[in-house]
This record gives sequence, C-alpha cells and structure tokens, in this order.
Amino acid sequence: MIYRLETALKSSLKDPEGENLRKKAKDYFNIELEKVRTINVLLFDLPISETEFEFVSKEIFSNPVTEIYSFSNIDEDFDFCIRVGFRPGVCDTAGNTAVEAISDILSKQFPKDSGVYTGKRYCIKGKDLSMEKMDLLASELLANDTVQSWNIYSKDFVSKNGFPKDLIPKVILNHEPEVLEIKFSSDEELNKISNERNLALNPNDVPVIREYFFDEKVILKRKEFNLSNPTDLELEFIAQARSDHCNHNTFQGKFYYKDKDTGEEFVIDNLFKTCIKEPTIKLKNELDWVVSVLWDNAGSAVFDDTYNYTITGETHNSPSNMEAYGGSLTGIVGVYRDPLGTGLGSKLIMGSYGFCTGLRDYSGELKPKLHPRRLLDGIIEGVKDGGNKSGVPTTFGQVYFDNRYIGKCLVYVTALGLMPKEVNNKPCHEKETSPGELIVMCGGRVGKDGIHGVTASSETFSENTPAGHVQIGDPYTQKKMHDFLLEARDLGLMTFITDNGGGGLSSSIGESARLSGGCVVNLEKVPLKYEGLDPWEIWISESQERMTAAVTKENIDKFLSLSAKHEVESTVIGEYTDSGMLHVKWNEDTIAYVDIDLPEKGFPQWIFEAEWSSPKSRGMIEPVITSPKDYNSLCLKLISSPNMSSKKWITRQYDHEVQGTSVIKPLTGVNRNVPSDASVIRPNLESEKGLLFTQTINPGFSDIDTDNMTRLVVDEAFRRLVVTGADPEKIGGVDNFCWPAITYDEKTNPDGKLKAAKLVRSCLALKDICLEYKVPLLSGKDSMYVDGHLKGPYGETRKVSAPESLQFSATGIMDDCKKAVTSGFKFSGDRIYLLGKTLDELGGSEFYSLLNEKGVNIPKVDQKTNLEIYKKYFNANQKDLVNSGKSLGKGGLFTALAFSSIAGGFGAEIYLDKVLNDKSLEDFKILFSESSGRILVSVSNENIEEFENLMGSSSCCHIGFVREDKNFIVNSGSDKIINLSVDDLESAFEKRFGELV
Amino acid sequence: MMKVKALVLTGFGLNCDNETAHALTLAGAEADKVHINDLVNKNVLVKDYKILAFGGGFSWGDEHGAGVLQAIRMKTHFGEDLQKFVEQDNLIIGICNGFQTLVNIGLLPGFDTKSMERKVALINNDHGNFIDDWIYLNAEKGSNCVFTKGLETFELPIRHGQGKLYTDDETLKKIEENNQAVLRYSSKEGKKAENKFPENPNGSLNDIAGLCDSTGRVFGLMPHPEAFVHWTHHPQWTVMKQKMKKNNQDLFDSGIPDGLKIFINAVDYFS
Repeated sequence: MIYRLETALKSSLKDPEGENLRKKAKDYFNIELEKVRTINVLLFDLPISETEFEFVSKEIFSNPVTEIYSFSNIDEDFDFCIRVGFRPGVCDTAGNTAVEAISDILSKQFPKDSGVYTGKRYCIKGKDLSMEKMDLLASELLANDTVQSWNIYSKDFVSKNGFPKDLIPKVILNHEPEVLEIKFSSDEELNKISNERNLALNPNDVPVIREYFFDEKVILKRKEFNLSNPTDLELEFIAQARSDHCNHNTFQGKFYYKDKDTGEEFVIDNLFKTCIKEPTIKLKNELDWVVSVLWDNAGSAVFDDTYNYTITGETHNSPSNMEAYGGSLTGIVGVYRDPLGTGLGSKLIMGSYGFCTGLRDYSGELKPKLHPRRLLDGIIEGVKDGGNKSGVPTTFGQVYFDNRYIGKCLVYVTALGLMPKEVNNKPCHEKETSPGELIVMCGGRVGKDGIHGVTASSETFSENTPAGHVQIGDPYTQKKMHDFLLEARDLGLMTFITDNGGGGLSSSIGESARLSGGCVVNLEKVPLKYEGLDPWEIWISESQERMTAAVTKENIDKFLSLSAKHEVESTVIGEYTDSGMLHVKWNEDTIAYVDIDLPEKGFPQWIFEAEWSSPKSRGMIEPVITSPKDYNSLCLKLISSPNMSSKKWITRQYDHEVQGTSVIKPLTGVNRNVPSDASVIRPNLESEKGLLFTQTINPGFSDIDTDNMTRLVVDEAFRRLVVTGADPEKIGGVDNFCWPAITYDEKTNPDGKLKAAKLVRSCLALKDICLEYKVPLLSGKDSMYVDGHLKGPYGETRKVSAPESLQFSATGIMDDCKKAVTSGFKFSGDRIYLLGKTLDELGGSEFYSLLNEKGVNIPKVDQKTNLEIYKKYFNANQKDLVNSGKSLGKGGLFTALAFSSIAGGFGAEIYLDKVLNDKSLEDFKILFSESSGRILVSVSNENIEEFENLMGSSSCCHIGFVREDKNFIVNSGSDKIINLSVDDLESAFEKRFGELV
Repeated sequence: MMKVKALVLTGFGLNCDNETAHALTLAGAEADKVHINDLVNKNVLVKDYKILAFGGGFSWGDEHGAGVLQAIRMKTHFGEDLQKFVEQDNLIIGICNGFQTLVNIGLLPGFDTKSMERKVALINNDHGNFIDDWIYLNAEKGSNCVFTKGLETFELPIRHGQGKLYTDDETLKKIEENNQAVLRYSSKEGKKAENKFPENPNGSLNDIAGLCDSTGRVFGLMPHPEAFVHWTHHPQWTVMKQKMKKNNQDLFDSGIPDGLKIFINAVDYFS
C-alpha cells in the first residue's frame, strides 16, 4: 500500500530553507522571488493499515507545535511549484530512519522491498517567473541531476490537471544475476573488452593478465572448479587492484629525469620507495615515537603512555566535482573509516578539510560542470553534515582559490584517531587474518553505488565519464558502526578490521586475505539494498559505511549480538584460508578462483619521462615594480583578497568542540575570527597532554618550482606547530599530492614531461626536508589526473589542468597544553620581535598575485637555520617568555602583523628599518616577501632580556611594540607608510564573505 | 560516602556521551554511559540512577526533526519510567540534542508531569545553518531550577542547526510566569539579546536558551555546559592566563569554569 504525507511549517513561522532559496535566487541569478515555502513529501511503501499510517503521521512525522500535515496536497499558493526527489537507489537517510521508527513504534518487521521515500515541494511566488527560470533554480540550487530529479508545475497546469502522481523511486532491476565468462584470444581483444566494460586496465598490464589465464598450471587449477576463461568478476578484481587509485602506479613508476638547462640526467626507480618509504623507515628506526607506518589504513604514533594516535589524509576530487555535496560528504565519512580500520580500530578524534576551487565569482567563458560558487557551497555542506553528524570535531581547515581548479576541484579530508596501545594485552596497532577466521561485513547494505569509482578517478574527467559512481554517504549509520566496533575491539572480539572504500569487498577482502593466504567468499550472503545485482557488481560496489572484520568462530556469536544491540547489520560472508587462492562462490558455483597475490605478480612498472627547465628558461621573469605610494589602500586590498580574507562562515558551520577536547580552536582572537596557526586538542580528557594539528598548501609556488613549493609547505606546517607550542622533535607529517596527468602525449598532454619533472622535484625535496627536520611521513596519498575538459563558447572543449598541489598535514605533541600560544597581541607595550631573515623573495607571493604577477624569486628554505630558530623559540615558550606567536605565511610580514593586531584588539607601531634583511630591501619587499622560517613574537618587558639572550641577535630583531590604542602604524625612516586602524583592517578582512552564514 | 549515580545516554548518533560523563565525574558523580537499547531491553533501569543526562549529538541523524525519533523510541519503551523518575525527586538534564528530545517527549516545559505533551519545539535557526560559536547567557533569578543555582551572566559554546525555541503565545506566557525560562541569550554585559544575531544565535523566542520544568528538576538547554569544564575550553583562555599571570595569579587555580558549575549543582542537590 502506498501512502502519501505532506508536512510544512505553520504559515506564521519563518521558513529558513525557503528564505535561503529566495536569497540565493537573487544573489546568484538576479531572479526576484516574492515568497518561497517548503513542503516535505513522504511516500510510504509499507504494509501498514490506514489507521497505523495516520497514527505515525501524527506521532512521528509532524510536530503539533510548528507544523501542519495533510494526506493530500497542503494548500499553499504558488505561481510555480518545483517537486524534487531522489533518483532510484540514492541514499535517503530520512527514508531509512522513517522505516526504522515506524517498525519500532508499531512493533512490526517489514519486508525487504518496503520503504519510505522523502522529497520536497517548493511553492514559489513572484512576478515574471518562467519555466526556464524555475528550471535554472531547480538545476542550480535545489537539485543535482546525478542524484535527484525534479518536475516543475505552473499554477495554470495544476489548476487544470491537478498534480501528477508521485513516482516512487524504488529500484526495480528485474534482472537475474549472472556471471559472464570473458573470452579473448589476444591482448588487443582484452584491451577492447577493458574499454567496453570500463575496466580502465593499463594496456601494459594486459599481457600479464593474458599470460596468467593462458598458463597451463593455472588452467588446470581452474578446471577443478569448472572455470576456464576469466569471469567478469575476476577481471574486475584485477582491474580494481591494479588501478592507480589502489596501486599508486604513478608513484611506483620509473622516472627518467632530465634537466634541460644543465644536461643532468638521472633515473628514479619508484618515487614512493625512494622518496617516501626510505626516509620514513629511516626515521622510524631513529625515533621511538613512530609506531606503525606505510602499510595500514592510517599511520600511528605515540600520544602518551596509554594511547597512540592515528592519522591519514585522503582526497575525493572526482566525485565532488560532479556532485559536490554527496562527493565531499562521502569523502569525509570515508576517510573516517580509515583510522577506524587501523590496527584493531581507533576512535575518531578530529578531522580537517582543504578545499581548492575556482573563485566564487568566476565568470570565465569555460563552463565547468558546477559553477565554483555552487560547487563550494555543496562541498562545505557535505563536509559539514559528514563531520558534524559523525560527532568528530573539525578543528582545522583551509580554502584555496585558483581558477585552474574549475577543471577539477580538490577536496582534501584528513582524519585522526586515538587507540589504546594495548587491548587485551595485545598491541592494538597490529592485526592479521588467519585461516579459519570468519569474514564479516558490517554496516550498510550493498547497492549499485559507486561501481567503477576507483577506476573513474584514475581517468581524466570528460563529458563521457559515467555519473553512476556518485553517492551520498550516511554518517548516521556509520556512527552507530563506529560505536559498535570500538566496543567489539575492547572486548577482544576481532582479529582484523579494515574499511570498505575504493574497490569495495574486492579490495578489502583481496588485501586482508593476502595476510592469511587465501579465502572463500559466499557472495550470495552479502545483504543487498535491492535484488538484481550481478555478482561482480556486489564484489566491487562502493556502497558506503561498511567495514570488513575477521572474527574467530568462538567469538562470532558475541560479535553478532553486540552488533544487534547497536542496530548495525553484520553478516558472515566467508572464511579466511591459507589455500593461496581467492575463491569466490555464488551459491554452489565457483565464480572466481585466482591466486590471491595475482595483483602483485610481475606487472610492468609504469615509465615516465620527466624534463625540467628552470623558470627563467621557461621565459618567466621577476616583475619590474617601483615602491607603491598608497600603502594603506594596498594593504586593505591585500587582506581582503579571496585567499587572505576571512572564511569564518565556513569554519563556524563545523563543530570543532564536540568531544570536549578543544584547546586551540580554528579561529582565535577577541572577535574569534582570525585563523589559528594550528589547532590543539586534549584527546585524553584525563590528561593535559595536547595534540597539535595544522595544514598548509601553496600551489601558487608550483608554477615557479615545486622543489621550493614542497619545502615551503613542509617548513610552514612545521613552524606553525612549533609556534603554537609543539615539541619540534615529535612532529609527524602526511603528504597529499594532487597532480595533473604526467604522461607525455604530444597531443593530449604536451607539457606532461614538465609536470612529471615537477613531481620528481617535489618528491626529492620532500625526502630531503623530512630527513633534515626529522618528520616521518605517517601517512600519505596521491590523486593524479586533476585535469578537466571544459566546454568553451564555440562548441569546443579545452583542457584545464589544476596547479600541482601538495597539501601537507602535520601533527605535534605538547606535554602541557596549558602552554599553547595564540597569535593575538596580549598587552600594550609588549615588544614585537621578528625571528628569521627577510629576503628579496616575492616570487609566487600573495602580493604579486594581487598585481597579477608571478615572479621567479621564490623563497628558499634554509633548513638548518630555520630549525635552530624553531628550537630556540620552543625553549623560550617552555620558559613562558612568549606572549604571542604568529608564523609568517601568505602575505608576509604585513599579514602576520595585521592578524596579531586583529586577534589581540591592539594596534602596533613597527619600524621597517629594524627588520633583519640581506641588503637594504625596498619597503614593499620587507612587508610582502614570503621568506620562510619567520615568526612574529610579542614579549613582555620583564622578559625581554632573557628572550633576547636565548634567541641571539643573528635571527631575532626587535621591530616595534604593541600600541595601547587601535592604530596600526608602520614606519619607514621618518615616514609613516601605513597608518590604519585595526578596525579598518578587520572590516577589510571580513567584508568579502561577510554576508555568508 | 556513596557517589551520586548518573546515567549518560549513548548510541544512535549521540556523540557527547564521553565528555558529558567526564563533566559529571569531575562534579563528583559516578557516571555510566548506557546505550539506549540497554534501557529498551531493560538490561539497565533508570530507577537505579539519580541523574539522567540526555546528551548532545545527532540521534537518528536528526531526521524528521532533531530529537523526534529519540523521543518516540523512549516514550514507546520506557516513557512511564521517565515520569516516575522525575516524580521521585531525581534530576534530568538535556543538552542540545538532549534538550530537543526532552521537548519532544514532553518532559519540558512539563507544566504537568502526567501529561507529557509536546508544547514547545526547537526548530531551524533563523539564519538556516548550523553554527559553532560562544555566546553569553543570563540565568533567570528567582527560578527553582536546580542546575542554574548561583549562575548569573556567563559564557558557553553553542553548536546546533535547530535551536530556535518556538511555541504558542499562551505557552510562552506560562513558561515565563512560572520562571521556567531559566537561561536566555544575552549581551556581554548581561543585557537582553533582544532577538538580535549574533547575541541570540538562532532567533529563539524571547532569547530563550534553556528551560526547566515546574519542579526545577528537569532542565534542558541548547548550549553545551560539558564543553566548558576546563579553562582551556574557553576561546580566550590564553589571554585570561597571561592577564592573571601579570597579577601573580594562576588561571588554572582560579575557580570553577561555569559549565562545570551546572553539573556540580546537580550532584550537590543530593548531598
């Protein structure tokens, strides 16, 4: 029986959702709407009686205080009405929880194919509205056609015909599951099949696959189970495991590097091994606080005597680029499964985000799939719902605008967890699977979601990329699973846990069964969202909120009953073995029987040509600029530029205080609006020990040289942590590379060799600075192919490659979080010091970018000198000599001064002549250079002697003092070149996005 | 002496259980985190406790209205136990999602413990979005609320998307006449927020941030007292610390953070 219910806020109440649409219609498209009211539509496809339906409608789905409800259409006047609903098979959490609630209140179990489907109806009134305008609002503001559908009805139409009946978006596949045998006789044929089936096999891998299945021993083994040619599932298994996303073929590749200027040539066999693994292993052996790196879902390091922390970072670029909300939500919820699936499981303790998109007011002629403004709105909202509903504080984040991200945006998500060092007297960071243990799938059910997600992100986005891999995560289901698994961990009920992310069961079982040496999977036991999926689809589906655990037979009953208490679905779907084989069955039939380590067998390494030429030989120059005359306007302009200005509206949407651990919040200062250098949490509420976290990204430098870019982001992250109070000897890092395609092709990727050289330089620099700073790479990921092909105005498409982007995350420890330092000036009269040297290094600076220049004088990182400064600063803070500390980054000295002033609510008096620099630099260079290693510090008068003695004069200069009033004054000789009030600076900093909530 | 026993709800998307239990422990209680289904299945009984804490989070993902589905589940399975619990001189605190749940169960405003009627709703913030920020609150003088005793103007963090308190005129009048609007958003100086953003962060009627029932023993509030039980929770603690240091004082030895006072009031009620 189908029932229909509509609910809406009483007309006396403000409708924030409708109001939001009205505002955006005006702001984004200049469409004037008089009034918008939202009506919720619920369609019940449930075997309940009419009385029961009326009962639940009243009791559950409408609020007597605020809402009206109706079993027909609520009488709300409109000129146009837009009805929006999900497409079949899209995750509808509201619908699912409705079934759960009705089942509970009526004490009834419902058949599997019943459901509740939710949708909305927007009643819109206004003058001069048209079908076209409504379609624009629907497609741009209300719905995304990859996951939702909509209908628009005019008043006329409805008064004549009434509303057409709602469609129930129920998935009905009418398909009998089948397994295909894939016949091929040549590599050419297999390549063709790969293209047809969207397998994205690398042509170089194809001969290896052919040889395997044509091997006589293999043929003989397979014959036992009635298999000869590979099945569709087997090929999918290989394709998933060999995809760039899972296997990181680019980083494992062989690079032939050539410097065209110097003629220098060398070969790097495996970038990952050389630049990430080797230094990290070396540091792990040296540093006793590094616990587990390079193999698990996240790396782990010592937090205190009882706990280790875990960390990893991911990107979710391609899905977010297509469906911003669903993509980013799935990204954050997905990365949260990594610490949960690390060792025997860790509790999530914080998350962070990094968004790179085109400018919000982009008006170029190339048309991205989603306008950057809409894209960013969606991404922000996705991470908000994913993070907040997971109950994990989002304590840090960054946003970087560059119109080259319209080809593909970047959505970085990072997750940290905390695990006891031991559970049940066993190390918690270790895990293994053993023959005889059961394979259990926990969490959500399997549908067609995300099929070929992994292989799609290993390809450049084009008009033909299937949208089917987009999905919407469900943090509610995952939170229940999180609570359940941690309880199961503490009871010692699991021997292994990992998440189902990219590649689904194919990856999670494929990888975990390599530990025991094989498995038998009864794929028909996997619970499905709806019938009709082919076994290969079940095998690789990326339906979210699922983990795979290994449980011994003696623990399985306890495990399943605990799972039932938490209302989490867990199902035994197979058993680990030591047969050496991946054995997948569908009822009685064997549908896969291949060597479990097949994906590691003799596949050829990818080969890249890398050709470097220096910025100068690429025609780049240092711009010729004379000293500005109007510094006041310049400074206000700079601090209000998109990349500098306040992103408070984003930060405040994220719960950064849940779990009660907050020590240093993402925003600081008297008006709580200045970005903190780092966040600090106290994850163990019983202790005062602090965990620091920060992130940096600076793709603007990549145009000049990625070697410097890399050192700069690592140095800045390290410095921000130290400035906030971290022990410089216990800092760990996470590298997240997002790079455009680097395979050279004369036509499709003519600058591929340069992009490859940039990757090599970046990796080598990363290795060097990490070894010098002793920063082990606790985790890291790469996401290649951040390119897009966009439609131009003349029917052409053009390729847009994102700048080479490295987000670096860093973690630190402080024994006493009560020593944490913030950037705001604290007392008038305090002395202001600048640590570190200021050089003629404006290449890639925020100042140049304001003038549309790039330059070549990119900051160099003097690693030895910087480290010395950082260690001295740390000592000074241990002695409580530091009142405020601010790391200098984008926008240089000026911005740091402005931020410390705004945060403190005090003005400053600064003398540029006092700034330590190499030659006598022009004022604008002193103010806006982005030389590395510098820290702005304020110190009380009673401490200056001790502070100066500790720092020494070679790297520390006294450049001014904190004023009593709010005047922000910068002197050059006898001239006051900047004379502003802190309030002016603050409003310039706030105004760009000030209207946004 | 026996410690006062407190029960903190967990499960189904609730997420402040750990810090709420921690706050109660700091206040001197013995706090147990109990899964909602352990109450449903009667593995744990409410009557074995003195304080019941409905904590923050997103129970059932906030679908169909924040706190709505949690309230239904509880009313269906142990609604009467809750009624009895209140009648027997025990305490209930509902924080954020817990407050939303209490109004949906009907324990608040609770003019009459027998009826458990929905009279008040907490709905979408006027600006339409979730917000995390610190705000000022004024505690109602002359109220019999156990939890807010001794509090005047103080700060707490808010973290919600559905915190606007709404009700009909008659109920509002009754709440105010009974001194049940125990917490209101205010300016820094303790003046009325007068429904202005950001002092009143969600558009709540008459700036109401928290309610108690007619007995003063059931208390619900949108702000998070459990998130201000350590001085480092305060957004300006680094400034406060330096200022006190100038006067040879130590912030960390300077009294009790205001959030913790609420839990101490609850525990002290039983001594």
